[in-house]
Amino acid sequence: MHELSIAAGLLAQVEDLAKANGLIRIGVVRIAVGVRRQVVPESLDMAFEAVSLGTSAEGAKLEQTEVPMQARCRGCGADYAPTLRDFRCPSCGQAAADITAGDDITIASLTGETED
Amino acid sequence: MPNVTVIAKPLLQKNDQIAAANRRLLESHGIVGINVMSAPGSGKTTLLQKTIEVLGAARCAVLVGDLQTTRDADRLAATGAPVVQINTGRGCHLTAAEVADGLASIDLSGRAFLFIENVGNMVCPAGFALGEHRNVVLMSLPEGDDKVAKYPTLFQAADVVLLTKIDLAGVMEFDEQRMRDDLALVNSRAPQVRLSTKSGDGFQAWIDWLNGQTGRAPSR
Repeated sequence: MHELSIAAGLLAQVEDLAKANGLIRIGVVRIAVGVRRQVVPESLDMAFEAVSLGTSAEGAKLEQTEVPMQARCRGCGADYAPTLRDFRCPSCGQAAADITAGDDITIASLTGETED
Repeated sequence: MPNVTVIAKPLLQKNDQIAAANRRLLESHGIVGINVMSAPGSGKTTLLQKTIEVLGAARCAVLVGDLQTTRDADRLAATGAPVVQINTGRGCHLTAAEVADGLASIDLSGRAFLFIENVGNMVCPAGFALGEHRNVVLMSLPEGDDKVAKYPTLFQAADVVLLTKIDLAGVMEFDEQRMRDDLALVNSRAPQVRLSTKSGDGFQAWIDWLNGQTGRAPSR
């Protein structure tokens, strides 16, 4: 259940971002989730709902977009899209991948109400 | 009340920001951070006890994560190296913030290695950077030869793969070729070391690998 610590980290950042931009109530949080983080979307939804109770993000909708993996081969430098079960480079066959995308969780945007 | 959308610059998750700060702190002391991950019971603590005995307690420091108890820390502290036990309570993996707190209570000067013994778990730790420079993944022979196929994300991130408890080779059924075939799909760059802390077989290869990591430009 690593979604709980992800949700707690997200909430802290969402609250900071809301405060910095004068949002008093957050309606939608849009995030991009790298597939390598092995996040179960429903679990993250549930965890975010739980940790945001009593905050300006209580009841906010979490919109999750999955980011597929991209890798660069340490062996030959080729860029390719591995799967979670097969990281072999299509050019040289080595499984020596540096993950270049699909390994991050980022906040893309927030929508919320301002005071005036 | 107007509705406003705020476009964030891609905002890395807080954990990754703290992990980067931990990494910089270690680098300022010339320390290599080693994240040690495996299932529970594959021999992480025993490996580290013996490793610190060989490398010398003055060169090492240890953070050890468990849900409960200080049993692992007590074992490791007997080596003379500074050890901080992090009890995660319900947390199934260490976080960068916990590592930052642990580092704050250790005198890092003169050390070459920080070993971070993660919570025994083959799923969650793989998604949380802590500030390490290298990932060590253990798999013990009694766990079975299908561990790589079942937990590919963890093994993909490994910089070295240790097959431990090989003294049980005649007792347990374990198809090493099957394990190596699975590993070839996800990670052909990490060296594989077979070892037994009990018999000492293969242990020197692990120490040699560790010594090869100091003074190098960190790769992550």
